[in-house]
Amino acid sequence: MKITALRLFNVKRFAGRGVAIEDIGDGVNVLCAANEFGKSTSFEALHALFFQAHTGQPKDVKRLQPYSGGNPVIEADIETEAGRYRLAKQFIGGKRATVTDIGSGRLVAQADEAENFIAGLTRGGTAGPAGLLWVRQGITGIEDRDRREEEDERRVRASLLESVQGEVEAVTGGRRMAEVSARCAEELGRLVTASGRPKAGGPYEIALAEQKRLAAEVARLEADVDALRKDLDERAAAAKHLKELDDPDERAARRQALERAQTALDAARAHGEALKSAQAELSHARSRRDATRRELDAFRGALATSVQLGGRIAAAEQARDTALARHRAATDAIARAEAEAQAAETEEKQARDLLARLDAALKARDRAERVAALATTLETVETLRTEREAAEAALAPIAVPAKSVERLQALEVEIAALAALASAREPKLAIVYDAGAAARVRLDGIALGDGEERGLADPARLDIPGIGTVTLRTSRPAGDDAALRKAVAERDALLAKLGAADLSEVRQREAAAQRAKAEIVRLAARIEALAPQGLPALREEIARLAAAASPELEIKGDPDAARLGAEHASQRVGAARLALREAQPSRGLAEDALRKAETALAALQGERAQVEASLGPADGRAERERALAEDARLAAESFAEAEAKAAQLRDAAPDLASAEAAVKRLRSAEETSSRQIGDLRERIAGLDGTIRARADEAVEEQWRETREALDAANGRVAAFEAEVALLDRLQATLQAARSAARDLYLKPVMMELRPLLALLFDDLTITFDEKTLLPHKIMRGGAEEDVERLSGGTREQLSVLTRLAFARLLARDGRPAPVILDDALVYSDDDRIEKMFDALHRQSADQQIIVFSCRQRAFARLGGRALRMIDWRPES
Amino acid sequence: MIRFLHSSDLHLGKRFGNLAEDLRGRLREARHGAIARLAEQARANGAEVVLLAGDTFDTETPAPDIRRQAIAEMAHHAPLRFVILPGNHDSLQAAPLWAALRTGLPDNVILATEAAPLALAPGVVLLPAPCTTRRPGRDLSEWMDAVATPEGAIRIGLAHGPVQSFSEDTVASDILAPDRARRAGLDYLALGDWHGAVAIDARTHYSGTPEPDRFKHDRPGQALLVGIEAAGAAPAVKPVETGLFGWRTEPLHLLATDDCGAALAALLPQPRLRRQTLLRVAASGRAGIAGRTALAAAVEAAAPDFALLELDETALSTEYDASDLDRIDRTGALRDAADMLMAQAGDDSRAEADRAVARAALVRLFSYCAAASS
Repeated sequence: MKITALRLFNVKRFAGRGVAIEDIGDGVNVLCAANEFGKSTSFEALHALFFQAHTGQPKDVKRLQPYSGGNPVIEADIETEAGRYRLAKQFIGGKRATVTDIGSGRLVAQADEAENFIAGLTRGGTAGPAGLLWVRQGITGIEDRDRREEEDERRVRASLLESVQGEVEAVTGGRRMAEVSARCAEELGRLVTASGRPKAGGPYEIALAEQKRLAAEVARLEADVDALRKDLDERAAAAKHLKELDDPDERAARRQALERAQTALDAARAHGEALKSAQAELSHARSRRDATRRELDAFRGALATSVQLGGRIAAAEQARDTALARHRAATDAIARAEAEAQAAETEEKQARDLLARLDAALKARDRAERVAALATTLETVETLRTEREAAEAALAPIAVPAKSVERLQALEVEIAALAALASAREPKLAIVYDAGAAARVRLDGIALGDGEERGLADPARLDIPGIGTVTLRTSRPAGDDAALRKAVAERDALLAKLGAADLSEVRQREAAAQRAKAEIVRLAARIEALAPQGLPALREEIARLAAAASPELEIKGDPDAARLGAEHASQRVGAARLALREAQPSRGLAEDALRKAETALAALQGERAQVEASLGPADGRAERERALAEDARLAAESFAEAEAKAAQLRDAAPDLASAEAAVKRLRSAEETSSRQIGDLRERIAGLDGTIRARADEAVEEQWRETREALDAANGRVAAFEAEVALLDRLQATLQAARSAARDLYLKPVMMELRPLLALLFDDLTITFDEKTLLPHKIMRGGAEEDVERLSGGTREQLSVLTRLAFARLLARDGRPAPVILDDALVYSDDDRIEKMFDALHRQSADQQIIVFSCRQRAFARLGGRALRMIDWRPES
Repeated sequence: MIRFLHSSDLHLGKRFGNLAEDLRGRLREARHGAIARLAEQARANGAEVVLLAGDTFDTETPAPDIRRQAIAEMAHHAPLRFVILPGNHDSLQAAPLWAALRTGLPDNVILATEAAPLALAPGVVLLPAPCTTRRPGRDLSEWMDAVATPEGAIRIGLAHGPVQSFSEDTVASDILAPDRARRAGLDYLALGDWHGAVAIDARTHYSGTPEPDRFKHDRPGQALLVGIEAAGAAPAVKPVETGLFGWRTEPLHLLATDDCGAALAALLPQPRLRRQTLLRVAASGRAGIAGRTALAAAVEAAAPDFALLELDETALSTEYDASDLDRIDRTGALRDAADMLMAQAGDDSRAEADRAVARAALVRLFSYCAAASS
C-alpha cells in the first residue's frame, strides 16, 4: 500500500477550511513545517482515518473537532496492488465512511464495509496484514500509546514474522511452553528463591531446618547416651571392683597377710634389740681393750722416760754449775769496778772543793779593789760637780738672749741708715782755711777741720775763734727725725735692759757666755762618763760592795794546780764508770744463763719425780709391767669374742624397714580397701541415680528414634535437593530452548535490521521482546542494557530503524507499507539525523516513507520529495 | 519331655523415628502385643515356657513404662513362664535395668542373668549365656562345654549373638561357635540376634523376631515351637506365626512394553491385609517415560491402603522412545528442550549424577506437558 494524497477539512485548527497534501510519491516524502502549521493535525487526521471508526466519538475523535464545532472530514488516496482508492470519513456529525475506486469513481464500500476495507489495509485480514507502520513524535515508551494501535502494530509485526517464519506458537512452544515454564518456575519457586537459596517457609527450607534440628538433637542425645553408657560401664566396673574388694576370702587374705607381716616385724624388732645389746657389749670390750693397752703402753713409756731423764738431769746440773761460776766471776768484776769508781769520785770531789775555795778568795779581793776605785771616782765627780755649779753661776749674769742681740744689731743698722739719711738732708758747713790760718772755727763746740763738711743742727752755733759766735737757724720743720729717734730710743732701752753700753759690749758678753756654756758641757760630760748612773747610784754601788765584803780568806795552793788535779780526778771517774758499765752486761747474761739452767734442771727433776711416782717403787716395777700386759691380752680376747658375736647378729638381722613398710603398706591397703568400698558404694548409688534419671527420660529410645528421624529427614532433604536440581535443569533447558526459538523466529527481522544498525552504531546487537516483537535489550561493548534505560535519542533511532526493518520485510513479502514518521527524531542530534536519513534513503528504494517534521533546518538536508499543503474544500 | 516356645529380639520400646507419627505408635504397640501373641501361641501349643534369647528390650535403659508394662503382661500369663536372657541391646552392663527387673519380679518370669545351670523343669537344665556387655568380645557360650548336668537331663542352651559375621550389629570377635550344641552336648541351642528365623543345624536355631521391625528379612513375624522328647532326641521345631505387621519387599521387574500399573496391581496383597503391611516395591528393569509416570501415579494411588507403601526405583532404568518425545511436542521449543535433556541424559561424558538430573528433568517435562495438554 502507498498513500498518494491526504485531504482534511474542518479538522482542529482548520475550522471551516481545509488543506490537502497531494502528490505523495514513492521514497522519502517530507512535510517540513514550523509548529502550528498543521503538520501534526495532518498526521492525526491521517491516523484517525485509518484507526478511528467513523461511528464512534472517542476522545481522539473529539479532539479532531475545531473549537468552533463542525464535522471533521478526512480523505486519503491510496494505491494498492488491487488498485487506487479514495478513503473518506466524516466524524461526529453526518458520520460517513466511503471507499471509492479512483479510476472508475465507483463507490467500492461505505459505512461498516468501508471500515472493514480500511481495517483490512492496516491489520491485515484473512490474506495477511498490509499495514502501516507509524512512528510518532518521541516514541520512547514514556507516553501512553493507544493500546489498540500498539496491538495492531504488534499484530502486523507478528503476522509478518509468522508469514516469513511460521506460526509463533509452533516455534516458541507457545501457550504450552508458557504453561510448562510457569509450572516449572512455580514449583521451583516454592522450594528456592531466585538466587537458588532455600525459600524461607518453603518445604525445602522446612526440611533443612528439620534436618538441622534433628542433627542437633541427635548430637545432644548421642552425648546423653554416651554419658549414659559411660555411666553404665563405670557402674559395672565399680560393681566388679566392689565385689572383689568385698569378697570375704579377699578380706581374710588381706588380714592374714597383715598378721604375717606384723609377726615378721615383731621378730625383726626383737632381733634388733639383741643386736643393739651385743653392739653395746662390743663397744664396752673395745674400750676396755683400748684402755688396758693404753695403760701398758704408758707404763712402758714411763720406764723409758725415767731412764732418759736421768741422763738429761745430769747434763742440766753440769750446765747449771758452769753458769753459776760465770755469774760469780761477773759479780766480782763489777764489785771491783764499783770500788774503783767510788774511789775516783771521792778524789774528784776533794779536788773540786779545793778549787772552789780558791775561787772564792780571788773574788773577795777583786771586790775590795773595786770599792776603792769607786770612792776615787766619787770624789772626782763631786769636784767636777762643784766646778760645774760655779760655771753655771758665772754664766747667769752674762747670758744674753740671742733675740735681743739680733734686735739690737738690726736697730743699729736702721739707726745708721736713718742717721745717714738725716745728715744727707741737713745743711752742710765746710771751711776751707786759709793757708796760714791757725784758728779753727768750732761748730757746736767741735772744731771744724779744713774742708771738713758738717751738718748743721737748728739752731747751730758756730764759734769762730777771733770773730765771735755765730748762731745759725735753719727753721726746718720739726719731726722729720721721729723714726730715728724711735729706733734710738728702742736701742737705748734694749741696752739699758742688758746693762751694756753698746753693741760691742753686748757682743763681748755674748762670747763670754758662749765660753761658759762650753765649759759647763765639758764638765757634765766628764761627770757622765764617771758616773753614768748618777751619783746616788755610784754611792749605792759603793755601799753594796762594801757591805758584801767578806773577811779576808787565807788561800793556800795554786788554783791552776788545783784545777788540773780536779780534771785528772774527773777522768779517773769516767774510766771507772766505763769499766763498770762494761762489766754489768756480762753479769746479766750470766744471770740469764743461770736461771735457764736452773729452770731446765727443775723441770727435768719435776718430770722425773712424776715418772717415778707413776712407776711406783722401783722394785715392784717388773711385776707391775707383767700384770698390765696380762690385762691387755685378756681385754683383746674378750673384744674379739664380742665382735664375732655382734657380726653374727648383724649378718642375720632381718630388714626392719621393709618389715615395717610391709606392715604399713598392708595396713594402708586395708584402709584403702575399706575407704574404696565406701567410695564405690557411694559412686554406684550416684551412678544409679543418674542412670535412672536418664532411663526415665528414655534417652536411648529417643536417640534411636531421633536418629531414624534424621535419616528420614536426610532422605527428604536429598529428595528436595534432587528436585531443585531437576527443576533447575528443566528451567534452564526450557529457557535455552525458548531463547533459541525466539532467535530463530526473529531471524528475518534481525537480518533486515543489522545493516541499518550498522549505519548508526558500531558493535550493537539487539534482543527482541517475544511479546511486543520490539527491541527490549541491546548488547553494546559486551554489556547488556535495557532499551528502556537508553537515552531518548538512541531509543527513537532504534524505534525508527526497527520499523524500517519491518517495513522492508513487508516489502520483501510483497506487501509494501508506508512508514510514517511524525517528528520521530526529536531527541537525535543533527549528525545522527543525517545518518538516519541515509538509512531512510537506503530503504526508500522500494518503500514509501512520509516524514512530518518541524525541524526545518535539519530536515532541509534530508532530500526527498518536499510536500506542500494547499487549500482544499470537499467536493460536496 | 519338654515343650517350649523359642523367641528373641522383641526390642520392646523401639520407636521407628523414620516413619509417620501414627504408624510409629501402631508399630510400637505391636511390639508390646508380641508378648501376648507369644503367650497365646504357647498356650495353644502346650508349651510351658517361653525362652526369650536376648534383646527383649531395645535399649539398656528402657523407659519405666516399657519395662513395667512388659513384665505386667508376662505376669498376666502365669503360670506360663518367661525366661529373659540379656542380649547385646539389653546386656548385663545395664545393671540398673536388671536390678529394676529383679524388684517385684513375678514368679513366672525368670531372669537368666548368670552363666550357670538353671533347672527349667524336672530333668531339664537351661544353660544361659547372658551378654555381659554390649560387645563381649568372646564366645559367651563356651562355658556350656564343661558344665555337668545330671545324667539324662535335657540340656538346653540359650545364647544371643552371631554365629558368623552376619550379625545385626556386625562385630567380628563375639562370634558364637556354630557347633556349640554338638560341643556342649546340647539338645537344643536357642539363639537370638538375627531377626529372621534361621536354622544353623538340627539343634541350633535362630527364632527371629516375633514382630518384624524392618524390610531386611522379608519374613513374617514368628516364633519356634520346640519339643524335646528326651535327652539326645532330635528336637521337633515348628514355626508359629506371631507377627502383626508384615514388612515386605516386593520386586517388580518391568519391561519397556509392560503396563506398569497392571504389573503393580498384580503385586499388591488383598486390600484388607494392606493396613497391616509395610510394602516396598523394588522396581527394576526398564520402563518408558509414560510407564514410569504411570507406575509412580499407581503407587501414589495405592499408598493410602497401606501402613506404608514405598516405591524404590533405583534399579529401574528409563527407556526413551520417539513417541514419548512426540507427546511432549513434535517440534518447537518444548521439543527442543526435551531433545536437549535427552541428549544430556545419554551423554556419557557427563557425570552419572548429572545425567540422572537430566533424566529426571525429562520425566518431569513429560508430566508437565501431559498436564498442560490435557
